[in-house]
Amino acid sequence: MSATRSRGLAQMRTGWLIAVLSVIAVAVVAVLSGVLIAATGGSPSDSLDAVVKGSIGSQSSWSTTLLNAAPLLIVAVGSCICARAGTFNIGQEGQVLIGAMAAAAVTIKMDLVGPAALGVALLAAAVAGGAWASLSSLMLKIGGVNIVVSTLLMTFVAQQLITYAVNTSWFLQEKKISYATPAPESDQIPSGARLRSFGNYPNLQLNVGLFIALALAVLAAVVMYRTRWGFRLKMVGLNPFVARHAGIRVAGLAALALAISGAFSGLAGAVLVASPVGNFRLQPGTSHMFGWDGLLVALVARDRPLVAVPFALLFGVLRSGGNFIAATGVPSFIVDVVKALLVLAFVAPPALAKMMQRRASASRAAVVEQPAPTLEGAAA
Amino acid sequence: MSLEERTVALATEQPTALQLRGITKVYGSVVACDAVDLAVNSGEIHGLLGENGAGKSTLMKVLLGLVNRDAGTIEYRGRQVEINDPQAAAAMGLGMVHQHFSLIEPLRVWENVVLGDVGKVDRSRACAQVEEVGRRYGLPIDPLQRIDQLSAGERQRVELIKCLRRDPSVLILDEPTSVLTQAESLELFSVLRRVVQEENRAVILISHKLAEITAATDRVTVLRKGKVAFRTATAETTAQELARQMVGRDVSLRAEAAALGVLPVERGGRAGTAEVESASAAVADLPPALRLTDLVVEAGGVPLIDKLSLTVQPGEIVGLYGVEGNGQATLGEVLAGLVHPSSGTVEVGGKVIDLGRPKALQRAGLGIVPEDRHHSGVVLDMSVAENLVFKTVDDVTSGGFISKRKMHAIAQRLATEYNIITSSLDAPVRSLSGGNQQRVVLARELSGNPSVLIAAQPTHGLDVGAIEDMYLRLRKAASSGVAVLLVSTELEEVMALCARVAVISSGRITGVLSIAEATAERLGMLVGGIAA
Repeated sequence: MSATRSRGLAQMRTGWLIAVLSVIAVAVVAVLSGVLIAATGGSPSDSLDAVVKGSIGSQSSWSTTLLNAAPLLIVAVGSCICARAGTFNIGQEGQVLIGAMAAAAVTIKMDLVGPAALGVALLAAAVAGGAWASLSSLMLKIGGVNIVVSTLLMTFVAQQLITYAVNTSWFLQEKKISYATPAPESDQIPSGARLRSFGNYPNLQLNVGLFIALALAVLAAVVMYRTRWGFRLKMVGLNPFVARHAGIRVAGLAALALAISGAFSGLAGAVLVASPVGNFRLQPGTSHMFGWDGLLVALVARDRPLVAVPFALLFGVLRSGGNFIAATGVPSFIVDVVKALLVLAFVAPPALAKMMQRRASASRAAVVEQPAPTLEGAAA
Repeated sequence: MSLEERTVALATEQPTALQLRGITKVYGSVVACDAVDLAVNSGEIHGLLGENGAGKSTLMKVLLGLVNRDAGTIEYRGRQVEINDPQAAAAMGLGMVHQHFSLIEPLRVWENVVLGDVGKVDRSRACAQVEEVGRRYGLPIDPLQRIDQLSAGERQRVELIKCLRRDPSVLILDEPTSVLTQAESLELFSVLRRVVQEENRAVILISHKLAEITAATDRVTVLRKGKVAFRTATAETTAQELARQMVGRDVSLRAEAAALGVLPVERGGRAGTAEVESASAAVADLPPALRLTDLVVEAGGVPLIDKLSLTVQPGEIVGLYGVEGNGQATLGEVLAGLVHPSSGTVEVGGKVIDLGRPKALQRAGLGIVPEDRHHSGVVLDMSVAENLVFKTVDDVTSGGFISKRKMHAIAQRLATEYNIITSSLDAPVRSLSGGNQQRVVLARELSGNPSVLIAAQPTHGLDVGAIEDMYLRLRKAASSGVAVLLVSTELEEVMALCARVAVISSGRITGVLSIAEATAERLGMLVGGIAA
């Protein structure tokens, strides 16, 4: 790498560099996806057509896209808060399930009516998701268990718990009159507990869940960027030692951030159960990868709640459009592969940009003598 | 041309082991090394002197094959050679002891020594070798000890043994005394002397401490801004001359001289001392701003701090001098509220502080410039403004919301007052030079109007200009009534700044001396743990 070029890189605005790299990466993904679809016997143009038709081609497909985007966004925003504090929660999938279960349980068991039912459901889901995530904080405190490991493993526990719940007659398994064998799923939640949708099929329908998600994204952004609490959160995430010196209770704040992330995931679970996308009932597959995908949205948005909004939408497009791709004869797992490639296309450029710039500035910083690994001298 | 004649004359006495000619290395627009010539003979200790950024490290990196040079030649024993990687350098007989030890802490001494060898690992042979090398050079060490149980001085012995076992013809040491006691430094230099005299090896000693260069080397090359500024036989020069060549201007300020290590530590009759003493006499009636009484901190039954008592009066700078690792870090943590002593009290302004309450010390008016700035002084990825206000963030917060405007106003004021040079207040602190980063820390800590300031190694890793600036600011803080506790391992620094010196050894205060009483011998005894 020539000296002039490396200096140019270091001086180039990071944002521009990332933008350029992202455009290149997405173009590469588009070509790769086309090749992949062609190789598996499909037609790239038909597939693209199907994705567009299924996601943004009509008002009703827009409805589906937005319905999918809402829980993704809620999970993602929670993940942003947590990651800001330097805690990497990857158990969103399980926390979504626990939230969904809590929402289903309180609405079905307590037999509430009216808007109170919805309020209680959302609250219960948030509390349950937060508590579930907090178990990992507890494990960290007591046994020093790594948060990444424990949140991940707790997901599998949550999945077993849901399976148990919907297969146990006294708990959440559906009630069947007559002799029909009950299915491993809950009854539908009462109509009072469901999230309303504005608009009628086939026109655009906007579910209240979307508004909740957008409001939470804005709220999170304000709290993270404008408040003292958000400032402390950032300090804890960037340098816990300095935060400790500044008198911040680091472990407590990190645990709170994880609990909030869990609560957001739980809330997303409630939104799933209380909206058409989850069929208004608890099923073992209710979470349907919303937790994982929400985490990916946060990852791609690099922990910025407002940036997560367009990416949640993009992932919503892929979800609703992906269902249509199957009709063109392309195996549906191709959609997952494309999704993974897209994530890489968005995650890699910032890291790549950082690497390129670090390398560029490192070759300048190397002028500087040890021991200070800073730009001391070079900056002077 | 008398300079080169002298070089030639010396070279004829001793064979030239290593000859660098016209070494040039350019990074972008910065010329790190500009046609540097360096001749090192067998049987001599060659000092390489220079400030931060003078090009010493780059030159050594070129020599060790870590960096590719842009121009110049390397001759080894009269033959031109190419050194493209560290393995080649090692195979040729170049060994280096880096300033920051490259030892693996959970491993034992012998394991670290044989690391990088090929073939079968033979423990008993390795241990015997370690002991043999240790005996030959007077570097006693137990090969079965784990590195993490060793002191800094012992670790350096391991590094030296590691190097010497490979029988290098040129041994390079980068700032080897930065973590050593004076006694350990002297020991090191006598080992080096043996290495060059008895075995005719060559040693390159990189240092910025003039006292070391003048005491331990045969010849010296001074680098300044990437060029050779001066070279001479050490016997024919003085510390003052070297200092002038290194800095490029006359060393006038006492602080600067102290930073360079040329300070002749005068006893008595110094105007400054009298002033300081009368000042401290005037405030002696006041309750001490900081009083530590019988502090004890234990870890696994081992006392890290052992019945430590110390007072600092308002307006006084007290030095806490000692070799690294004698409890200073633990004391710093106690005073930062991170570690709770098992017994003893901390009083600020005459009031006993309840250490159990978070921020109790900070609220009582204690500011801290922590020892490791990157670790606990600044958040590198936060902006200059954020770093300047994070301890007083409550002042710019209303209703839970931070006012960016107020934050910037405060930050701007501090940046101007403390002469913090940055492209913008929103630039990350990472982009600042070390001296400016440290100014950010100091500005923040003093902005809370503390009555006590703890400054732990405040000039570590800074260049001369930044050190001078730091000294002035600490003095200024003291003269405005702040009680300053200066924790330092640099004797010259303590001597330059303090009215009194408390010496810490193994977690105990072994003695408190006024500067007039502080002779090198008495301090040395105290540092060694013997009350004098």
